[in-house]
Amino acid sequence: MIDSGSVKQLAGHPFDRRDFLKVLGWSGAAVALSGCGNTSIEDGKETVVSYVEANDYMVPGIGVYYNSTCAQCDAGCSINGRVREGRVLKLEGNPDSAINKGKLCGLGQAGVQHHYNPDRVREPLLRNGNKGETISWDKAYALIAEKLSGVKGEEIAFLSGGVSGHLKALLGNYLDSLGTKNHFVYEAVAPGVVRAANVKAYGVEMPRYRFDKAQVVLSFGADFLGSWVSPVHFSQQYAQFRKGVNGQRGVLVQVESKMTLTGANADRWLAVKPGTEGVLALGIINALGIATGEVAELVKGYDRARVSSETGVAPGQIDKIAALLKLRSPSLVLAGSAAEGYAHGSQNAAAIHLLNQVLGNVGKTVEAPVSVPFPQMAPAKGNTAALKTLNDGLAAGKYKVLFNFAANPVFTAPGAFKFKDNLAKAGFKVAFAHYLDETALQADLVLPLDSAMEDWGTQVPEYMTEGAQINIQQPLMERLHANTRGMGDIVLTLIKQRRADEYKAFEDYYAYLRGAMLQNKGALGGGGVDDDTFWNETLTQGIVKLAGSTGTLTAHAAAAGLTLPAPAASDEQYPLHLIPGVTASLRDGRHTNQPWLQESPDPLTTIVWDSWVEVHPKKATELGIVEGDIVEVTSKTGSVKAQVYLFPGIHPEAISIPVGRGHDAMGRYAKGYGVNPFQIMDAVFDAATGELAMHETRVNIKKTGQRVLVVKDEGSAGALQMGRKIAARVSTDQVDLSKEV
Amino acid sequence: MYRFLRLPVLLVGFFMAASSYAASNSQPALTTEDALGPQVVQPIEFPHNRHAGLHDASDPTKGGMEINCQYCHTYARRSAVAGIPPLQKCIGCHQNIESVRNKSRIVELFKYWDAKKAVPWKKVHDLPDFVRFNHERHIKRFIEQQDRPVQEACGYCHGDVKEMTVARRQKPLAMGWCASCHEKDHPVVAEGGTPIAGQAYWYSFQKPAAAQDANTKARGPNDCWQCHK
Repeated sequence: MIDSGSVKQLAGHPFDRRDFLKVLGWSGAAVALSGCGNTSIEDGKETVVSYVEANDYMVPGIGVYYNSTCAQCDAGCSINGRVREGRVLKLEGNPDSAINKGKLCGLGQAGVQHHYNPDRVREPLLRNGNKGETISWDKAYALIAEKLSGVKGEEIAFLSGGVSGHLKALLGNYLDSLGTKNHFVYEAVAPGVVRAANVKAYGVEMPRYRFDKAQVVLSFGADFLGSWVSPVHFSQQYAQFRKGVNGQRGVLVQVESKMTLTGANADRWLAVKPGTEGVLALGIINALGIATGEVAELVKGYDRARVSSETGVAPGQIDKIAALLKLRSPSLVLAGSAAEGYAHGSQNAAAIHLLNQVLGNVGKTVEAPVSVPFPQMAPAKGNTAALKTLNDGLAAGKYKVLFNFAANPVFTAPGAFKFKDNLAKAGFKVAFAHYLDETALQADLVLPLDSAMEDWGTQVPEYMTEGAQINIQQPLMERLHANTRGMGDIVLTLIKQRRADEYKAFEDYYAYLRGAMLQNKGALGGGGVDDDTFWNETLTQGIVKLAGSTGTLTAHAAAAGLTLPAPAASDEQYPLHLIPGVTASLRDGRHTNQPWLQESPDPLTTIVWDSWVEVHPKKATELGIVEGDIVEVTSKTGSVKAQVYLFPGIHPEAISIPVGRGHDAMGRYAKGYGVNPFQIMDAVFDAATGELAMHETRVNIKKTGQRVLVVKDEGSAGALQMGRKIAARVSTDQVDLSKEV
Repeated sequence: MYRFLRLPVLLVGFFMAASSYAASNSQPALTTEDALGPQVVQPIEFPHNRHAGLHDASDPTKGGMEINCQYCHTYARRSAVAGIPPLQKCIGCHQNIESVRNKSRIVELFKYWDAKKAVPWKKVHDLPDFVRFNHERHIKRFIEQQDRPVQEACGYCHGDVKEMTVARRQKPLAMGWCASCHEKDHPVVAEGGTPIAGQAYWYSFQKPAAAQDANTKARGPNDCWQCHK
């Protein structure tokens, strides 16, 4: 509104510069608009390439859908990819899979960015000084044969991530042909300790958990909604658990020192002192008062006062949980990565399993898993203990030839291993790689792999649900780059160097796969069907469902041998626990170069494209730290610098840095973003299994004096409303509910 | 006069002048005016006239063969984009036409086929990426529901292709030109009173006016999002 004063002031003035500029602006816009005509039609400039030969179903602009298997993690979700004009555009879950039932997580969705990533290795590269020189595949194969000749089996090592299916069988045969038993299976983030503890308590590495049958879930740091074992499947089970049995909504209690995505969803979230999960479990058994015999004897000392002082959980809370567990049965008690990550991790897990046993959940919500009737295809699993053995061997200069596939130990090995230095002692290093990651950069020969959307394969998930299944991986489109090869094809070529006669019938890995599947057609549910029909149906469905064999849970959690250490004495120099945060989208960092994952805000902190140090607000006040301060986090092994994020969901005696970022290789979307907490991890191991105790590293933090603006969705851009009352709020003590409805 | 009114008056005046000019422009004729695009050089000079042109009764070797556009451009009725016929389509006929087998264009064609390489045709009708023109909808409407001749229906936008050798853009293909059709009266209800194509949604905004010939008529869909999605 223009008031009369301004009108008077304006009246009588000539057409001045401002008006002139306004008119000029308008006419400029008019010219720009009139320009939006034919000028933007670029006839005859673009090439429009047609098919040479096209099947009837190939129509430009219309999507065709193929079933395959997600390779972003090893949960084995079946995917359905939309392909248009020969290019894969979008992945969704395959509704026929009992694992993911048509759903797919963000990590899986980003799979197309693995395929189209501009930083993929495109040619075989041979080291020449500091550079990789392009060589032909024939030369690369010849070079491998040359390097292997005269080398004894025990001087050859093969490091890989988790493998399963026919590739595992073929790889096993190849290693057998080399006369080596040195296959090291290494997954940096894997429930290695829990698997061993499960064998002791249940007789199987991974039982089938029935969230849907449980009325209470008590999870000790198992982030089953985010990154633990088979999160998409668990999320669906969790939804049923929340709907409840007989209308009674399930209650989730999460016990951990750093809040995970699952913890954020819990009804009750308890922060325990890092490492005291087992003590709390025994304290709950004590409070339940239903244990007898040995178990009662064991938990006798764990009364409320002691447990409360050791764990930091209020005595009232212990009573509440015990009462809840008594009231509602069956329940499900889980031991997750937060419980297993200590030197007494196995003991923690054993105590937690004992609680499950006492509550009578075994057989009700913890069931025997089904297994595939082909043990040679079952997934090869491993954790850091395997890497330690390899690392010790490398340090001793034992290996003349080292192969590396689907693992990036230079990035994920704890700093205390000095893995990079030890790796240099291997004679000839071959890396099968999608990208030039930290480990591939150390290799002498880098062989470029097809993406998961170009390659053939089969996959057997570790965690299966209703019935066993073998997942089919098939190309969703042609190779993007002419000179990449499938891992199966490479291994087949290599094995032909040793056992030409046995494998000469198979022209390529596809032929091998087809042959192997057809050979067992009967067992795979294709009895009485002709070969082509069976094969085509298998590819169409993307899953082979098998009856599988359900075993029984043989073992029984027992009190014998269960001893928890006394609370760790406080360390003056390194007073804080370092908790490596495993996030749902970045996991161990093998997919950090997929920009969607970098861009997806962390669900708890909303931070993007960078690492952060979670510090409890109380601790921060004590140390004089505010959000955005760059702090130096120092352990015995090393130090990193990162921005502070004040997070009430962390125990005041701990800090957390998410793993996955901090690459110094792996392409434009990964390199140089954030810091890598693996680098500062101490080599402390679980006493029983020899796996790395990932939560045992102690650190101190120091301000560096620098401060940055934390890039995140919450805060000024989101939650602060700048007085606009977009979402009005009122404190609880001022609410009069009768007026609100 | 108050000075602050000057600028609005200026702009309103300008707007009115522009709209009166637009209003005085009478409704365009059924066949819209031409705006020839550039002559595009193609890897093979494909003679549309020979394939789609009219028969020459006096000399069968000279005239066209009156092949239906949709025989080769088979994707247009199935998809939003028309695509280009696969090379296989050309060869499917030409491997059996010995009489022209040695013509330079056909020799060139078979070179691509033998090498199993796609012909790098140049795009003649190119719309900006923010426009989503749907071939399928137009063919459903004009050819399948209204039973118009194929060459007429395709020709609304592509011009008189049967007279061309290599195709050349004949219509402006600009938004104003699209709207010139989408504003004309045309029947919107097929026999039996069923709304044609997926326009039921659009009709709920704008009731079609009943015209004198008792055929319900309306404008074509002209919501922004029909093309700009």
